[in-house]
Amino acid sequence: MRMRLKLKTVFVLYFMVSLLGLIYALMQLGQRCDCRDHDMSKDQQISQLRGELQKLQEHIKTELSKKTDVPKIFVITPTYARLVQKAELTRLSHTFLHVPQLHWIVVEDAPQPTSLVTDFLAASGLTYTHLHKLTPKDRKLQEGDPSWLKPRGAEQRNEGLRWLREMGAAAKGKEAAALEEAVVYFADDDNTYSLQLFEEMRYTYRVSVWPVGLVGGMKFERPVVEDGKVVRFHTGWRPNRPFPIDMAGFAVSLRLTLTNPQARFDGDAQMGFLESSFLQSLVTMDDLEPKADLCTKVLVWHTRTEKPKMKREDALQKQGMGSDPDVEV
Amino acid sequence: MVPIYCLPLLRNIFGCTDNRTGATKKDFRLHGSCITENKHITNAIQIKYIHQRPPPWSDTLPTLHIITPTYSRPVQKAELTRLSNTFLHVPNLHWLVVEDSAQKTALVSRLLENTGLNFTHLNVETPENLRTQKKLKNIRTPRGTMQRNLALRWLRENINPNSSHKGVVYFADDDNTYSLELFEEMRWTRKAAVWPVAFVGGLRYESPKINSQGKVFGWRTVFDPRRPFAIDMAGFALNLHLILSKPQAYFKLKGVKGGYQESSLLQDLVTLSDLEPKAANCTKILVWHTRTESPLLVNEGRKGFKSGNAEIRRIFKLDVKIRFCFFKHNHLLNKKRRDLSELALIC
Repeated sequence: MRMRLKLKTVFVLYFMVSLLGLIYALMQLGQRCDCRDHDMSKDQQISQLRGELQKLQEHIKTELSKKTDVPKIFVITPTYARLVQKAELTRLSHTFLHVPQLHWIVVEDAPQPTSLVTDFLAASGLTYTHLHKLTPKDRKLQEGDPSWLKPRGAEQRNEGLRWLREMGAAAKGKEAAALEEAVVYFADDDNTYSLQLFEEMRYTYRVSVWPVGLVGGMKFERPVVEDGKVVRFHTGWRPNRPFPIDMAGFAVSLRLTLTNPQARFDGDAQMGFLESSFLQSLVTMDDLEPKADLCTKVLVWHTRTEKPKMKREDALQKQGMGSDPDVEV
Repeated sequence: MVPIYCLPLLRNIFGCTDNRTGATKKDFRLHGSCITENKHITNAIQIKYIHQRPPPWSDTLPTLHIITPTYSRPVQKAELTRLSNTFLHVPNLHWLVVEDSAQKTALVSRLLENTGLNFTHLNVETPENLRTQKKLKNIRTPRGTMQRNLALRWLRENINPNSSHKGVVYFADDDNTYSLELFEEMRWTRKAAVWPVAFVGGLRYESPKINSQGKVFGWRTVFDPRRPFAIDMAGFALNLHLILSKPQAYFKLKGVKGGYQESSLLQDLVTLSDLEPKAANCTKILVWHTRTESPLLVNEGRKGFKSGNAEIRRIFKLDVKIRFCFFKHNHLLNKKRRDLSELALIC
C-alpha cells in the first residue's frame, strides 16, 4: 500500500512539474530571448558579418567583369579642382560601376595629376586612365565669369582623344578587333546619367544622338526624328548651329574617331559651337543614329552643382582657425 | 522519461525582394523567410539589362532604412536617378521615398519600379500654412519634416519591436552625395552614430568633436555650436530599435529655429555620451551636402531664336539683373539662400 501511494505521489508530482514547465515555456513564447550567453561576443559577430558583406561585394564585381562580349564604352571626363570635385566624381563613379565594359578616361585641368584624383581613381574599382592637360590662361574662365563665357574642357577632351588614338594605333589582333566596335562618350562630371543611356549608346556605328534634359534653358533639347532619321533639332537656343546638341547628347564610334585623326574640339569656338567643331568633321545630320526610342526619352540630364558657401570658412581662415587641410573634402 | 519542452521562439523574419525578373516584390512587408543567400546572388545578375540588377540580399546583415523626402521640381528625376545608382551598390538597403504631394506621382512610382531596389513609396503633402514663409519664420516648418515623420511612423507601424530584425535608420536628402563607405560605417550603429558632413554651415565641413576617450563632447561648427546636436541631417544614423522603442520621438513640426530640426528628434532619443563616432573617429569625409542649381528654363515654350545674340543678351541681362537684385536686397534676405525664381519675383 505504501509503495503504491509513493508511486502515485511520484506520478502526480511528475505531472505537476511537467505542467508547470509547459506553462512557463508557453509564457516565454514571443518574449525577447536573452541570448547573451549563447551568442558570440558582439565584436565577433560584427566581424563575421563584415566578412560576409565583403564576400557579397566581391561576388558582384566578378559577375560584372565576366561580361566581356559587349562593345567597350570609353568615357572621357574633363575635371578640375574645386570644392565639389570629389563629390561629383564619387557619385559619377557609382553610376559607372554598373556599366559593363566601361573605360573611364579622366583628364584633369592641371599641370600634373593631383593626389585627390589619383587616390580616388585607384579606390574606385573602375577601369580607368588618368591624364592631365592644363588649359592655357587666356582660354580659362576667371573667377566671377559666368559659366557660359568660354567653352570649357576642350583641351582635356582633345587629350583624351589623343590617348585613344595612340592606343588605337598600338593595338593589335584581338584587342584591335574589339576596338572596332567601341564607342566614345564625353561625360562631364556634374551631369546625371541613367544606366539605360549606356546601353543605348553601346551600339553606335557612326554618331548616335538622344535628348538631353535641363539644357539650353529648356526642360530638354532633342533631335527631331522623322522616318528614323534626324531632320532637325528642337532647341530653344540658336538652332542654326551645325549641331545644336549638348556634349552629353551624342556618342561617337571609336572607329570613326580613329579614321579621322584631325577631328578635335576647337577651344576658340564661339559659345555653343564646341560640339559642332568636333562633329562637323565626322558626320552629317543624315548619318546621325537616333537612340532613346527615336529621341523621345530623356536618359541624361545637364545638372549643375551649386558652389558651396564658404563665408564662415573664409572668416575662420583669416583668423588662422580654418578647417584641417589634411581632411580631404 | 522527462519531457523536454523545446519550443523555439517565434521569429519574425522580414522578407526581402524576390530578385527574379518580372516578379520583383518591391514593397517591404512582413513575409516568410528570405530565399537563401546563394540563390539571391545568382538571381541578382540580370542578363538583359544590367541597370535592372538589384543588389544581393543577405539574411544576416542589418538593413539600412534610408528615408528620402522628395518634391516635384525639374531636377527631381535626375536627383533620384543618381541617388538610386548609388543605392544599387548597397546590400540590404530599404529605400523609403516620401513625396511632398497629395498623391503619389507617376514619375516617382515608375522610377522606383525601374530601379529594382527594395523600396516603400509614401506621400504626405505639407499644408500651405507650414510651408516656407518669408515673414513668419518661427512657424515655418523645415522642408521635409512631415515626410520624415511619416516614414518614422511607417517603420513603427510595420516593424515589430520584438522581432530580431536588425536595422539602422538614415535620413538621406535627394540632392546630397554619399560615398559607399558611409553605408558600411553606419550599418554597425548600436544606438546613434555620427560623422562629419562637407559643405554645411558655411564651412568645408562640420564635424563632432571627439575627446581622447573616443566620445563626442562638442561640435566643430560656427553656426550655433551650442545646439544640443549641432549636426546636419546627413551626419547621423540611428539604430532602428531605438526608434521603435521610443514611439513618441518625432521631428518637431512647429516652433523650430533654423538648424534645430535634428536636435528636435535626437534630444528625445540619445544623449551626447551615447553617440558613436564613425569615419575614422570623425576625421574622414564620407558625405557631402551638395546642392543642385535650379535650371533657368527661360526658353521653355519657345521655338528657337534666329538671332543667337538676342538670346545671349537676354540671359546675360537676366543673370546680371538677378545678381544686382540679390546684392540690393541682401540685407533684407539676411544673406540666406533664395531661389532665383523668388528673386525674380522680388525684383
